[in-house]
This record gives sequence, C-alpha cells and structure tokens, in this order.
Amino acid sequence: MNANILLGAVAYDPKVVTIWEGIRDYFRAAGLAFDFVLFSNYERQVERLLKGHIDIAWNTPLAHVRVKQKTEGRSRSLGMRDSDRDFHAKIVVRTDAGITSPRALAGKTLAVGSRDSTQARILPLHFLKQAGVELERVNLLPFDTDLGKHGDTGTSELDVLRALAEGRADAGAVGDLVWVNEQAAGRINPQSLEVLMTTPGFDHCMFDAMPDFDDARAEAFTRALFAMQWENPAHRRLLELEGLRQWLPPREEGYESLRRALDETNGW
Amino acid sequence: MSAAAIAVDAGELPLGGGLLALLRPALDALAPEGVVAVRSTQPGVAHDLPSWCRSERHQYLRAEAQADGSVLHFVARGRFGVPRVVGDEGDAHSGFAPRGARVEPGGPPHPYALGDVAHLPPAAQTRQLYEQAVQAQWRADELPWQEARPLPPRLENAVAQVMTFLAENELSALYVPSRFVARVHPAFADAAQFLATQMMDESRHIDVFVRRARLHGAALGISSVTTSRSLLSLLAVEDFTEAAFLLSLLGEGTFLDLLRFVEEHAPDALTAELARRTRADESRHVHFGSVHVRHALAGDPRQARRLEDAVRRRAATLHGAGGVPAPIADALTLLAAGDDTPAAIARGHAHFRALLTTMHEGRLKRLVHAGFSDEEAHRISELHTPNFM
Repeated sequence: MNANILLGAVAYDPKVVTIWEGIRDYFRAAGLAFDFVLFSNYERQVERLLKGHIDIAWNTPLAHVRVKQKTEGRSRSLGMRDSDRDFHAKIVVRTDAGITSPRALAGKTLAVGSRDSTQARILPLHFLKQAGVELERVNLLPFDTDLGKHGDTGTSELDVLRALAEGRADAGAVGDLVWVNEQAAGRINPQSLEVLMTTPGFDHCMFDAMPDFDDARAEAFTRALFAMQWENPAHRRLLELEGLRQWLPPREEGYESLRRALDETNGW
Repeated sequence: MSAAAIAVDAGELPLGGGLLALLRPALDALAPEGVVAVRSTQPGVAHDLPSWCRSERHQYLRAEAQADGSVLHFVARGRFGVPRVVGDEGDAHSGFAPRGARVEPGGPPHPYALGDVAHLPPAAQTRQLYEQAVQAQWRADELPWQEARPLPPRLENAVAQVMTFLAENELSALYVPSRFVARVHPAFADAAQFLATQMMDESRHIDVFVRRARLHGAALGISSVTTSRSLLSLLAVEDFTEAAFLLSLLGEGTFLDLLRFVEEHAPDALTAELARRTRADESRHVHFGSVHVRHALAGDPRQARRLEDAVRRRAATLHGAGGVPAPIADALTLLAAGDDTPAAIARGHAHFRALLTTMHEGRLKRLVHAGFSDEEAHRISELHTPNFM
C-alpha cells in the first residue's frame, strides 16, 4: 500500500480500529496517501517513531514529553483534540472519611490509577506533593491495569471510583472528564463522594512527528485533520469515538507540570 | 461582564445529583454564547461545574459570592450541538423527529424517498381523513353474528366464494400500502398514519370476510389465476401516486360498487351489515386516493398521461386474462338470484350485468372528480382490470 504518511496509534480498545480505518478513509477521500499501524503500547510506538518507522505517532502526554526529550525539543507537534487542553485531575474523597484538606490525607488510603497514567497517578501525586501532602504518609492503593496504555483505557480510573464507592479507599485520583461523565451518567452517589481538590490544568494527547517530517506532508495532514466537522454525520461518528468536538493546533505550555513531575520522580 | 439570559436556582443540588436537569435545558434554550447564571449553595459545584463545562464545550465564565452565602456560577453556552428547528418538509437529517422538533445536528441521513409535497397528498386533507378513520374504527364482534341463519348449501357456498374473493383483495390492499409507509418522510407522517389506518381497516375486513365465509361450515372458495395476477401487478407498483391511483381510486373505487351490490343482495342482515361497514371504510381509502391523484394532476398535468400509461401497462400484463373470474361471476349471480331456480338465476344474472355497468360509470365519475378529462376517463375505465380491483 503506497502511503506517504504512516501514522502509529496504540490499540488500547477495539474501537481504535474503527477510528483509524474511518480517519484513513476520510484522509484518502481528501487525497492524502495515508495509512496507519497499531501498537500494543506507547513505549514501542515511541521507539518506532524515533527510529523513523512511522511518520506520526498519536501520543499520550507521557509519550509526547518523552519524544520531545529524546529529540531535544526538535520533534514536530502537529495537533491535538479540544479535549486535550486544560485537563485537570480530581482528588475525590468519601464524605464520611473526614478529609477536609489535602494534608488530612496523611494516614488515609488514596486509590490511584496506573503508574503510567498522567491524569490518575503521575500528576495528581505531583500536585498533592506541591500542596504540602507528605506522600510517604499516605497509603496508596494503586490500580496498575493496562500498563503501557498510559491510562487511555480509563479502566484504572473506574477502578479508583469503585474502590471509593465500596469504601476500600478514603480518597482517589481520577481525571476530570471521567469524574463529570460518571456523574452525568448517574453512576456516582453524590451523597457519598465529593471533590477535595482540583489540580491545575495540563494538556493531554498530541500528534508527534520527527524533526525531519517535511512541511508539505505536515501541512497536508493538519489541513485534512482540522477540516473534520462535528456537524458532519460521517465525521461526527469518528470524533465521538475519539472523544473530541474539534481538532486544534498544538501548544507546548501544557506539558511543563508533567516534565517537572517526571524529573522529581525519575519517571523518564 | 456578560449578563445572564436565564437564572437557575439549583440550591444544594450536586452536579451529579440533579443540577444538570436544571442547567442543561436552560442551556438548550440559548444560542451560542448565551449565559445562564446558576445559584448554588453546594460547595462541590465549584469543582464540578467548570469540568462539566469543559467536557460539554460550554464556557465556565466566573463565580460570584452572594451576601446570603450562595454562589452564582456563570456559564456561556458553547457552539456545538445547537438544535435547529426543521422546516415543515423536514430533510434527510431530521430522521424520525416529529414535525416542529428541534433536531441536534450531525445525525445520520435517513433514506426516505417520499419527502416532498409533489409526491404526497396535501397534509391538511390527509390529517382530516386520518382523524375520521380513527373515529370510525369498529370491531368485528360488533356485527350481528348470531342473527345469520344457515342458507341453502348453494347459496351458502356462493356467499363463501364472494367472501373469499373479498378477503383476497383486502389482503393485497393490506400489503400494497405497507410498501409505502416506510418510504414516507416522517415530516409527512400524516400520510403514513393514514396508511396505517387503511392497513388496520383491511386487516379487520380480512377477518370478517373469512369469518363470514366459514360461519356455517362452508369451505372457502376458489382463488383464480386472474385475481392472483391482477393483485401481483398492484404489489409491483413502485410509485406512490401510481399505487394510489391503481389501488385506491380505481381498485377500491370499483370495490365500493361491489360491496354495495353485496349489501343490496345479502341473504341476511349480517352479510348486509358487514358489506355496509367495510364499504364505509373503503370509501375513505378511495377519498384518500382521489385527493392524492387530484393533487398530483393539479401540480403537473403530464401526470394524467403517466397514470394512464400505468393502467395501460397493467392491462398489458393481464392481457388474455378474460373477463371477471368465473367463480366470482357465478357466486355474485347466485347471490343476486337469492335461490337456484332458473327464473331467479335469470334475474341474478341481469343484476350482475348491471353491476358491470355501474362499476364502469362509477369509475368514470371518480376519474373525472380526480381531475381527468371525460375522454381520458373513458379510456382508463375501459382498460381497468376485469378483476374489479
């Protein structure tokens, strides 16, 4: 198959096939010689991007900052979802746990997501520490599910909420979207859980390309990508599955907190 | 500072405990950038509302503490998913939304072929006929079944044959409209709803005809090839106006004269009553067909030629089918005779011949009423199937 743009994505769910086959058909209809490959984890995808086996990687924030670091900041960021901007994590507590400030988490059980989940593990712990919490005095209840998927599946966040609902944890860390969507769907008992703390904002996924990815292809890719419309039924089906209303240009400032967190924890 | 167009008092409601049931409808009433002010005494809302706004692409503007300890949260409606009011004619993307509903954009296109006024009867008259049909529904068990006494065998068999023929025709009249219901755009649901009443009518007619045939133990009569061919040709019609013309105006129109004949010559009150009731229903169907055809002819005079061609094509496929199928001709003769003496049969046969004339005259009248010229009406009536339907 002749493709002058080969994109990598991680198969964190069967729907990833539907998403990328749909986007591939859309790109091809727009005149782009495009194809994709799927990886089982982000570490392999980053490695293959760095070796030049793929042109673009659809990366989590953790994979994105690693690509930036390995390329000494020279990798090309091409675009992101509207939902990737201003992500927050929530520290949710049981109302009966008597936790009224972050410092009161000392001695309590805090459920957290996979250790490679930016929103349910890395940044919540980073921001709690910034808020003066002595993490070594908090009992962590980790859900290291789907490692390598960087929290994409959301499984570990649902595990955190379940542990909270069942009283196995006093507090838990989840992403803001999981938290409000579970509430909107009526799956949270509002009497038993509440938010203790909302972290500062950070940015999420990014399309990464190597520094030598040329302008013409980058331009062709982003032009077609940004032309997808929520109001178009064929596009909407794909955008819904991928969790966005519109694609946006890249921005780098939203990854600083993640870089600091990785520095502090030797997490690179 | 943006002033709020709508204020919502959410009291102590948490976001996941009912607040959204107040906020979402308020936002849905606004154009993009319109602002809702939410008064809340629930501290968690300060955490949850901005996140929900991010998730739904609304803009969380600010919070203002109030003197009474509550907080006013200001939310501006985002630009995605603003429902649009669909016009009276709907479009592919309005789907099953009832006329006048506000439709969220981005839905899949639906495949309705009949979605323009040129191909459907006028909505106001259709609505009126639909409401009449709903009013006029009746049940088979309302008929005086106990009052029919067994007839002499030949006459009973003739009744069974007539009922068999009627039921067979009504089965086709149940199936033919069903082909068009799913093709009518829901914005014109009145037409689909009328067809549903027509199908309900036919269904009831099938039941009463078959029940009358079997009432005294007679076997059902014969279904002839002529009838089968004729009815199959109706089922094959793809165009809604052509179907209305062939089935309702011509077929069911002719059926009215047949049912009046059965009522006049019925051997008992039951048979007369069932013919009377079914004819009342059929006259609505004929009226619907007439309104439909008249509308089509008024909108495009070339339709007259097209509809005449449809009758001609149908006649061509039935070429060589002969006259009225023998079993029904004989049964109608015997029914009109009332008994099987030669003198009575002679009278019955005269009535039967008169029926054919009545049917021809009835067709002419209905065709002219629907907008055909006298000349066209004559040609069409002569071409009409000898099977009556």
